[in-house]
Amino acid sequence: MPSTADATPALKMSGLRMIYNPGIFRRKKVALEGLDLEVPAGSTYGFLGQNGAGKTTTIKILVALQYATSGRAWIRGTDIRDNAARSQVGFMPENPYFYEYLTAAETLDFYAQLSGVPKNARRKRTDELLELFGLTHAKDVPTREFSKGMRQRVGLAQAILHDPPVVILDEPMSGLDPLGRRDVRNVILSLRDKGTTVFFSSHVLGDVADICDRVCVLHQGQKISEGPITSLLSGRVLEVDLSATGIPAAGVPGVPEIARRAWHDGVLYHVLVDNEELAQKAKALIEGAGGTLRRFVPHVESLEEYFVRVTGAAGAKRVEGEGAIAAPSSTKLPAQTAESEKGGAA
Amino acid sequence: MSFIYIALNTFREAVRDKFLYLLMGFALLLILVARAVGWVSAGLDNKVTTDLGLFAIWLFSALVSILIGTGMIYKEIDKRTLYTILSKPIARWEFVLGKYIGLLLTSTVSLVGLSLAFLIYLKALGSPIDWAILQAIVLTFFEIVMVTALAILFSSASTPILSAIFTFMLFAVGQLTQWLVDFSTVVKTGSALTTRLLDGVYLLLPNLNNFNIRQQAVHATSLGKTFAIPPDQMLAAILYSLSYTAAVLLLAVLVFRRRNF
Repeated sequence: MPSTADATPALKMSGLRMIYNPGIFRRKKVALEGLDLEVPAGSTYGFLGQNGAGKTTTIKILVALQYATSGRAWIRGTDIRDNAARSQVGFMPENPYFYEYLTAAETLDFYAQLSGVPKNARRKRTDELLELFGLTHAKDVPTREFSKGMRQRVGLAQAILHDPPVVILDEPMSGLDPLGRRDVRNVILSLRDKGTTVFFSSHVLGDVADICDRVCVLHQGQKISEGPITSLLSGRVLEVDLSATGIPAAGVPGVPEIARRAWHDGVLYHVLVDNEELAQKAKALIEGAGGTLRRFVPHVESLEEYFVRVTGAAGAKRVEGEGAIAAPSSTKLPAQTAESEKGGAA
Repeated sequence: MSFIYIALNTFREAVRDKFLYLLMGFALLLILVARAVGWVSAGLDNKVTTDLGLFAIWLFSALVSILIGTGMIYKEIDKRTLYTILSKPIARWEFVLGKYIGLLLTSTVSLVGLSLAFLIYLKALGSPIDWAILQAIVLTFFEIVMVTALAILFSSASTPILSAIFTFMLFAVGQLTQWLVDFSTVVKTGSALTTRLLDGVYLLLPNLNNFNIRQQAVHATSLGKTFAIPPDQMLAAILYSLSYTAAVLLLAVLVFRRRNF
């Protein structure tokens, strides 16, 4: 059972750099620009970024599917170049695919063999996982007949077969229906409860916000933000939504001047303002005009809004820096940490 | 030890593919019709049946290796089954070796199956069965050992179509490599550079002619001789097959080891 108090990071990356060289006549592409990252043991870690940000490249380097151009990485202190590092990790790629002619039970048994699960424990373990993922009815069905959701479940099962202390998932919710997403979320939560480190990339930011305790945002191969979600989001109010009754259709004098938008729907008078200070002023004006406040809802920044804000800002800096891809070292963006984010908010 | 699991899985997947049985079906058909060809060859029916039967075993065993093997590793990359395998604690050489052994196992089962069917057929026809015929089958196996390695080499570096073309080319050229030795002997009196060049090409290309003793086997059987070729010549061919295969597999591992997926 992995310990959450373990001081050794579950994953550590130092100066990871990846340059794809497609050929003599085509331009090199820098996929990662010196990524430094530590994933604490026992954390549930969201790895975010737009398409092409370098998430999958990073994950593939960690599980030895690709070799970094430079830099190093460790899984629980073991260098990833050592095969033993991969015995401590379970991995599910995006849209996993399996041998068509093997049944679900045979597929899991094969991966159990490769993961080093002892022969006498293999049968029991595969049966357990088939049941956990609701695949017992399909254990003798070839995986070529599986739906995408079923393949995803087999993918997750093979990743955790050997009960690894670290699990890496690449877009585990990609293309799943709401029920499928719920199943994946539940698996991640149960792993978290066991103390397993879960490192996953995802575009489904609502789910990431719900289940992760830390995130890293990657943008064009660079880390632009990293830290605990609670610190990064920091309760920043984006707008306040007020609604009141007892207001005439003409509205309240003075409110339109401070509101982003104010309108009457025949029953309620609605006001949208930019911050809490303006909301208190609007409230006073509404109550002064004889209205009764029915709704006062401050909207704090969601992970999705945070993501759009930081990637948008990084994109703008990139445009200013111009040529960052061609000359990455000269235009490296400073990574925004939870601490610097707090400072900025203050 | 992971290569054993990969080998067994490769074999299991190959034997569940209908394509294998299609190839074996054609081979059996050719063995059966060999007798019909024998009938129209006045007085040579036993020789023709044996010759054509050995030819069918050789050709279709090679086809199993080439047609299944050349797409084998590429398919793993294309369908991304490789991702979940290489992320396990196994070395890349184990993957290549496992694929090779799995494919060789498939070809061997095909060769053994066809050979047994052929020998039973010969026995039923009352044709003589000598060690010479078994020698020809054993050397066919060692030719397949080499061809399978070539299929894996090209499959680890290229697309199935290109791999199939390259492997077929080497398979065909390999039947003619002896010609280079003969030609080299002829030109020995000429330019030393040409001779060295021909010797170099000979070393690089597989000499599959070493394994083709089918004619000798048929001839030996018809003359009542025990062996088609002396045992030491057979041993030399086997050692050549094993050395060449080891070199090709080493190259395949080197190619595959540095690839990014």
